[in-house]
Amino acid sequence: MNRILTIAKSEFLTLIQTKAFIFSLVLMPVLMVGLIFFMEYAEDHVDVDTRRFAVIDHTGTLYSKLSAAAEAHNQETLKDGVRTGPEFIPTLIDPAGRSVDDIKVTLSEQVRTKDLFAFIDIPADIVTKVEDAPTVAYYTETTSYEPLPSWLETTLNAEITKLRFDSAGIDQGLIAKLNTTTNVTTFGLVKRAADGTVGEAQEVDEVTRIFLPMFFLVLMFMAVMTVATQLLNAIIEEKMSKISEVLLGSVTPFQMLMGKLLGVVAVALLLALIYFAGGLYPVFTSGRWDLLDIPLMAWFLVFLVCATLMYGSIFLALGSACSDLKDAQSMMQPAMVLIILAYMGSFIVIRNPDSNIAIGMSFFPTMTPFAMMLRMAMPPGPPMWQAVLSVVVLIATTGLTVWAGARIFRVGILMQGKAPTLPELLKWIRA
Amino acid sequence: MSAISIHNVSKRFGNHLAVDNVSITVPEGAIYGFIGPNGSGKTTTIRMIMNILVPDSGDITVLGRPKATDVRDDIGYLPEERGLYKKMTVRRVLRYYGQLKGKPLAELDTAIADWLSRLALTDWADKKVEQLSKGMAQKVQFIAAVVSRPKLLILDEPFSGLDPVNAEVLRDAVLEMRRRGTTIVFSTHDMNAAERMCERIFMIFKGRKVLDGTLDEIQKEYAHDTARVRVTGGAAMLAGLPAVESINDHGNFQDVRLKGDPQAFLHQLVQKAAVQHFEITKPSLHDIFVRIARPADIDLTVAAAATTGGQA
Repeated sequence: MNRILTIAKSEFLTLIQTKAFIFSLVLMPVLMVGLIFFMEYAEDHVDVDTRRFAVIDHTGTLYSKLSAAAEAHNQETLKDGVRTGPEFIPTLIDPAGRSVDDIKVTLSEQVRTKDLFAFIDIPADIVTKVEDAPTVAYYTETTSYEPLPSWLETTLNAEITKLRFDSAGIDQGLIAKLNTTTNVTTFGLVKRAADGTVGEAQEVDEVTRIFLPMFFLVLMFMAVMTVATQLLNAIIEEKMSKISEVLLGSVTPFQMLMGKLLGVVAVALLLALIYFAGGLYPVFTSGRWDLLDIPLMAWFLVFLVCATLMYGSIFLALGSACSDLKDAQSMMQPAMVLIILAYMGSFIVIRNPDSNIAIGMSFFPTMTPFAMMLRMAMPPGPPMWQAVLSVVVLIATTGLTVWAGARIFRVGILMQGKAPTLPELLKWIRA
Repeated sequence: MSAISIHNVSKRFGNHLAVDNVSITVPEGAIYGFIGPNGSGKTTTIRMIMNILVPDSGDITVLGRPKATDVRDDIGYLPEERGLYKKMTVRRVLRYYGQLKGKPLAELDTAIADWLSRLALTDWADKKVEQLSKGMAQKVQFIAAVVSRPKLLILDEPFSGLDPVNAEVLRDAVLEMRRRGTTIVFSTHDMNAAERMCERIFMIFKGRKVLDGTLDEIQKEYAHDTARVRVTGGAAMLAGLPAVESINDHGNFQDVRLKGDPQAFLHQLVQKAAVQHFEITKPSLHDIFVRIARPADIDLTVAAAATTGGQA
């Protein structure tokens, strides 16, 4: 045990002194926060261009309504003299005796020379024909640009519907009134207090529903990725610089594997803890003390430790089977898929934490820590037996991967040359 | 008591029999040399002694225990494939390796300082390993193996790739360990070093034990049939004599391997040329090594070259 700790300590100290660690400590949060700000900024500020488009209006009535709507839209997106959205400027095309095809060719040319951004062709029977309704044709060079066509669709639909209601003699205001929607607001559960009164249930907000689980998810994903890449690199460096056999003169392969695993897992936990402390900062400043859920944090720690140990031993075993970084890249792909799968699967869990698929994922070992953590973070959380069972599954799997990893490690650590195939790896485990 | 005893040990890798029924006993306090061509089973034998590989059959006892792993802390091991953590300082690497042998830091620091000064590395103690030259790194690796004051020291090719000065320094260091009472096993290609340092020599060839004994015993076994001669006319005069098996021409003198009685050879020689020097010699370890390990087809061409007076 002492030797394991000696190795773990050396691994830990070596890692936290590397530039990469200090880099990831400082840079990762900066990058993440930066990315969020950038995306918010970009969403508001990028698309402020003027989009001129021509309208061929065969109905003769829709253009004026469209033009008025565009004017309204342009006013709406102009806040305090600053554009926050694109400006839409329509032009009505006067056929002047030309055929529609001629007009389209001319307009296409204008789009190509950037005088226009797009043009639309509104069929004459668009309002009157309800069955097999004709479509409005939208022509552009920039087919990937969504805001204009989607605005056109919304606007034209509203106007056309209004015209249809009018011609049928129905008051649309009445329809809107009758169509008033009923909201469903999410609350937590209600308890009867000691004095017999029933307390006001708390409205569940975005933070507890989405932000907190996401925070745990990202933290765990980051820790697992840190462990995976660090261990893989460490073990391959050791093989390439031929250190392993020196160590095997002093410790068993199992001690070596456990030492490295614990050292790197400690680094990942330290990293997670530092970020976690960073995450607590907004809790303190915003006074949302209700977010400070101690049992939940204890669960998080359990899942985090298990996840890093489990994935760590998988990557350690893979690393020991490779002779160089090139081998490692191809060997790590399947294991990487497991992590990505668990991460992607987590979004299914967030959307529907009590669905059968989410419950299934909670018991699929490589997904357990992610899926179960999320479910626990989202009220009301899974039943206790599921939480306990998932931890049992996870601990059993972690034990198994560490054991199998040590078996592969024992053979792989002295091996040079060609990377083994999967059947060969299985043979090593059984050997 | 023997430090290592290997009894009828075999190890197979796939279809290749790497070690074939080998038995040796390393007495306590001895320097034991393992020699043999590349791929003959030296490293496999050493790894089995270290219990890094497990023999398919046979028994190994190390320091009185059936597994080296039970007495790991008393064994210093310098494998053939050896490296150091490049980013660590020399001192930290040595401390780390010593701690893995269960030694307290205080004891280690004294030993580290002592060995660094003995091997002229004191100035490099706080430099990173990546700054060391190859020879220096090899000396640091040696210190890593001995810093825990092992009772048994196993060195796989400790001198390979060293310049003569550093090789000499390391040979002295090995002898120093021996003076301190450590049993030493080392494998080498350097027959000179083996001849000078080892009390007993074990040669393995194609997995089988072909030599095992003191240098004297081994040389006696091969001594009767070698003569060193100098005659007017040189090697050409020796060719074709019936008693000659092969000739190793050194220019000014020739080592002649004989088929029969040296006296008969001398008799034949006197009749053909003027003999300036005639000596029945012990073959060098190098000659014995080459004689055993030379592939059969090369043996023929050498014999052919010898008959035309060429150099073997």
